[in-house]
Amino acid sequence: MPIVVNLDVMMAKRKMSSVELAEKIGINQTNLSILKTGKARAIRFSTMEAICKALDCQPGDILEYKPDQD
Amino acid sequence: MPYVDVFAILQLQIKGGFTHLEREKTMGSEERSILLSRLCVLFFMGLLLVAVVAAPWLTHWFVGFSQAGLEDEAVYFMITIYVGFVPAAYLLYSLLKLLRGIEAGQVFTIQNVEYLRRISWSCFAGAGIALASQFYYYPWFFVAVAAAFMGLIVRVVKNVVAQAVELKNEADYTV
Repeated sequence: MPIVVNLDVMMAKRKMSSVELAEKIGINQTNLSILKTGKARAIRFSTMEAICKALDCQPGDILEYKPDQD
Repeated sequence: MPYVDVFAILQLQIKGGFTHLEREKTMGSEERSILLSRLCVLFFMGLLLVAVVAAPWLTHWFVGFSQAGLEDEAVYFMITIYVGFVPAAYLLYSLLKLLRGIEAGQVFTIQNVEYLRRISWSCFAGAGIALASQFYYYPWFFVAVAAAFMGLIVRVVKNVVAQAVELKNEADYTV
């Protein structure tokens, strides 16, 4: 998928652990892992809002569009 | 003589009985429905086995009963029964596996779509065998139409379940 999730990069920048972020945005570890590993097929606006609030960033800092090479 | 606490045994039995009753109550109607379906599949499996084992007698009886001068075609009837046994057995086996998956709470899975596909193709195979058998006994044509129609219905259900699996995956991976 050409949409890349840079959540772990932002988490590293903010020095925030997965457990802490999951608690702050109110989702479980499994769903956060799905999001971090790029397995997610969609993200709710409410989840994005909570992530941006917790990490003090913009949606563009989390999601990136990288066109396929072929 | 060893000491046997009859009262304690009775108590345990009564308690066991009550636990059983409670479990009966909590057992939902859906579970009972699946159980009934499984029993029906097992019944048909038994029926199929009996039909195959008793094929010579069944054929003999039918040829005598029909009074349509089918004595020469008796061997073809047996061939149809034996060849038809393969897709029928495969269909029932797939149905049993499908029900087992549903019972385990795994309804919208790729595996179930595969089972439905197998069931559908088994129906079509049965229809093909019946269609080929109409050369010696034309009423097989109606069996072929019925089997093909059943296969078509299962195929549509398979398509619906495949879409449902896609939707479920979409929902499961929406964070």
